[in-house]
Amino acid sequence: MDCFITDYKTGAALNSGCVVLEDSIMQKGRLTTAGSKILENFISPFDATVVSRLIANGKKILGKTKLNEFGIGRVSQDRPDDISGAVTAVADGVAETGLCNDFSGTVRRQAAEHGLCYIHPTYGTVSRYGLIPAISSMDQIGVVCRDLAAGFDILSVIAGSDPNDGAMYPDKVYSYSAASAAAGKNLKLGVPRNVLDLADEAGKSAVMEFAKQFDTAEECELKYFCVYSQVMYILGCAEISNNINRYDGIKFGYRTNNYKTLNDLYLNTRTEAFGLDTKLAAVMGSMVLSQEQYTPYYEKAMKIRRLIKESLEFDKYDIIVLPSGMKGDPYKQNALYALATLAGLPSVSMPYHGGGIHLIANVKNENALYTAWEVTKQ
Amino acid sequence: MLNIENYEAMAKLKLPDNEREWINIRADMLISSFAELEKINTDDVNPMVTVLDLQNILREDITVKMLSREEILSNAPEQYAPEQYDGYFQVPRTLE
Repeated sequence: MDCFITDYKTGAALNSGCVVLEDSIMQKGRLTTAGSKILENFISPFDATVVSRLIANGKKILGKTKLNEFGIGRVSQDRPDDISGAVTAVADGVAETGLCNDFSGTVRRQAAEHGLCYIHPTYGTVSRYGLIPAISSMDQIGVVCRDLAAGFDILSVIAGSDPNDGAMYPDKVYSYSAASAAAGKNLKLGVPRNVLDLADEAGKSAVMEFAKQFDTAEECELKYFCVYSQVMYILGCAEISNNINRYDGIKFGYRTNNYKTLNDLYLNTRTEAFGLDTKLAAVMGSMVLSQEQYTPYYEKAMKIRRLIKESLEFDKYDIIVLPSGMKGDPYKQNALYALATLAGLPSVSMPYHGGGIHLIANVKNENALYTAWEVTKQ
Repeated sequence: MLNIENYEAMAKLKLPDNEREWINIRADMLISSFAELEKINTDDVNPMVTVLDLQNILREDITVKMLSREEILSNAPEQYAPEQYDGYFQVPRTLE
């Protein structure tokens, strides 16, 4: 390792410039497994765009970190999420920042629980070229960091249009900056009462204490919050089941030894190599995309996705404030993070006042989130 | 209870009984939760495929070499006679 680890408790620069990559991001010549047996032997033939940009800017890449298979968040209490390797690496001071694809909200939630921040950028601002795809309309590489200054420094390096990713805004460069804390107090906050009522006590307290820092914090409502998890899961499973169709044991990845026919090869390769949550997503995805279920589930979810985005009141508020934890099973908890993912919005999760908060801003308004963090430092 | 064997086949999976049972239980829970969607009026609402307001992203019609044949074959589980031929993916016989 060519990075020097210092004691982060003293505030000394911890492995300045060192980044870890979630193992869904390709680095040429290295294994990229996406946490799945189906890619256990896959050596990346090229660098992801984010990796090329980090290297060109002199950032040191320490290595790869573990993740749930394809980043799929778990929905069942008998199978809790594994801790993100990037969160562990940054929390332990091994790296200063980590890059992850956090469509499910798992890493955002875990970051806040471990005293870290996570920046989920606006969809379409960071290239997905070289990212193992999961949910193409929601995948977005973000940054786990100890403080947002370091996180936004890395984000400014990796963000910007890329001809290899067609689903991006045309801006070639993004520069992120925070206004002063004094100016930041003028940010208008919306605090959804219907969500706060479902929060655990630590989350509720964190949101209320955070809101006190600002001159304007009003109650609002997230109109379709009760179906965020369902819409997220239906659309997510449909796209995941489509994206994992490429894993057939033919061109790359794991291949079963147990086959006589081509169909045997497909069935046994995929059955032996995929984990349980991936199989659940694949089956559910096939169901919601089937002829008889497409209209009541998939098309319905796509329509509600539009209603969700159109119901947001960013004409009245700069930031919507949510707790980072909620009562209930993992499936219901995912609703807290589903809004930013479904609507392609920038969000930041951070620890605050014994709990955690999750802040969401309008498209390409990461600076409002950065400024809000400045206010909390006072 | 959902008959998941049809969808299992569509997903190109052959689940062992214990996994099928686990998936059946979770699928039932998820489908029960989906009933909430029916309460929302979506008449005259267009489905949202992507959050980006982009149309027809095109590039110049110029051939661009991305990877070499060797790089593409480098992860192949089995290759067909690589010493004799340029390199092919090897698959089980598909024709009788």
